[in-house]
Amino acid sequence: MTRKLFLLATGLFWLVVLGVWAASSRSPAPGEATPVRAMKRLPLTEVARHSSAGDCWMAIHGKVYDLTAYLPDHPTRPSVILPWCGKEASEAYRTKTKGRPHSAEADRLLAGYQIGVLEEGK
Amino acid sequence: MSIASRLSIPLIAAFLVGAPVFWAFPDELSGWRSFAIVAGWTGCGLLLASLLLMIREPWLASRLGGLERMYVWHHRLGMAAYLVLLCHPLALAADGWEEQPAFAWAELDPGQQGWPGWLGWAALLALMAGMAAALAPRLSYSAWRGLHALLAGAVVLAFAHLLQLGLDYLLLWTPLLAMSFMLWRLVRADYGGAARPYVVRQVHRLAPDLVEVSLAPLSQAISAQPGQFVLAAFLDGPRFRGCREFHPFTISALAADGRLSLGIKALGDCTRHFQSVECGVAARLQGPFGTFLADQPRGPSLWIAGGIGITPFLAVLRTRPLRQPVRLVYLHRSSRDAGYLDELQALAAAQPSLSLTAMANADGVPDLPAILPAAADLVGVHCHLCGPPGLLTAAVALLQARGVPRERIHCERFDFR
Repeated sequence: MTRKLFLLATGLFWLVVLGVWAASSRSPAPGEATPVRAMKRLPLTEVARHSSAGDCWMAIHGKVYDLTAYLPDHPTRPSVILPWCGKEASEAYRTKTKGRPHSAEADRLLAGYQIGVLEEGK
Repeated sequence: MSIASRLSIPLIAAFLVGAPVFWAFPDELSGWRSFAIVAGWTGCGLLLASLLLMIREPWLASRLGGLERMYVWHHRLGMAAYLVLLCHPLALAADGWEEQPAFAWAELDPGQQGWPGWLGWAALLALMAGMAAALAPRLSYSAWRGLHALLAGAVVLAFAHLLQLGLDYLLLWTPLLAMSFMLWRLVRADYGGAARPYVVRQVHRLAPDLVEVSLAPLSQAISAQPGQFVLAAFLDGPRFRGCREFHPFTISALAADGRLSLGIKALGDCTRHFQSVECGVAARLQGPFGTFLADQPRGPSLWIAGGIGITPFLAVLRTRPLRQPVRLVYLHRSSRDAGYLDELQALAAAQPSLSLTAMANADGVPDLPAILPAAADLVGVHCHLCGPPGLLTAAVALLQARGVPRERIHCERFDFR
């Protein structure tokens, strides 16, 4: 009985994983679906100049965001997010508290605040 | 079993699942992502409860309703944890699916992830492989034990997965407790830290595949009652090399000086090797465990023993005179295999309150409807059964069909896988 349950659950799991892979390989990649606008290349030194609550830029995963307008809506207290203004904040973004990264919803929300791409090595 | 013992394991499991889920419960996330997080922590809590039930300590077993019950729940909770943890990555994928299938695949594809994702996949695959090995029907006991290490590896990888995700300090206790339980089990049970030293003093070869070993304590003796069992590992002697694995054996005799005897039937590679054990071999014993035959009712009893399952009944008969009329049904394959038959016949002849029915069944399928008492003779009778799982299942079903209530049926199973 237990063994049958294990085999059934494991089989179903891999079937779903394969199904997701098959469906994704037939659908357009996310980048193809939404054309990327030409973005300004911004060095980290430029990002660092915007490090206050009234002018807050952050570099996350190679992109630069102006989050000034979003700061009042961020769910945590200001002391959690403000220290990251003007900085490379990918690690902080990945390791949100309570043991989890930011959600896919947050990823989509963040995309709306992008102002450029990070110029590498600067 | 008391209500406290009966509820102990479900309550502990509910706490170990509820506490991390409460702490980690997501705010303001989408439905699928919230479900994924709750599934992850529910799986962690269930695994934690399952690991707690692996700990082999007599004091813990007596509070949780016995070692056998602990192992049944260890399996149940382990399987529940596996099923819930399978939902964790699938729910993350479902969250992305709402946007488009490529986002769903991005949640599953190790090629699009970093260390948190790789460690999560490694933990899940180790759990999957460990579960497959744990449920494999034809693995030898030593291979089965060795492959169980995959499950321990899965717990360590899951810990690393949580750390990579940026585990909140308040939740650190979950993986730390899991590691502590595994370490406790390893040191106290598998390496014998909780076991006491004994030495083999006498060996009686009772049948081709059956020996009775008498062991004397080298330090403080185990304080056991007839009907209980110990876990024993045999080490080395002048010519004997033990396999050093702990196996459960029912005590077949207890002496006032702390000596005890174990009936050992060749049922696997290690127990077959024990058939050649000799005097002077060192052994380590852990226990005692079990409450079988602990409460002897005043009314009439029916004892049903299959093969080596005779040992707990023998321990009672050898220790003290019966206080109630007992009908003992001893089922064995052939008189050549029935190692204790002569002694049982002598005990029955000396005790009028003991009636013995010994039946040999060469094909291994006894005619239970003909052997067991009729419904009218089972009114008010307490039934105690010990033997192979197939025999117990058939006998219990028949006794219940003949009107014996479940609370009057007491079984002892040795199914520790």
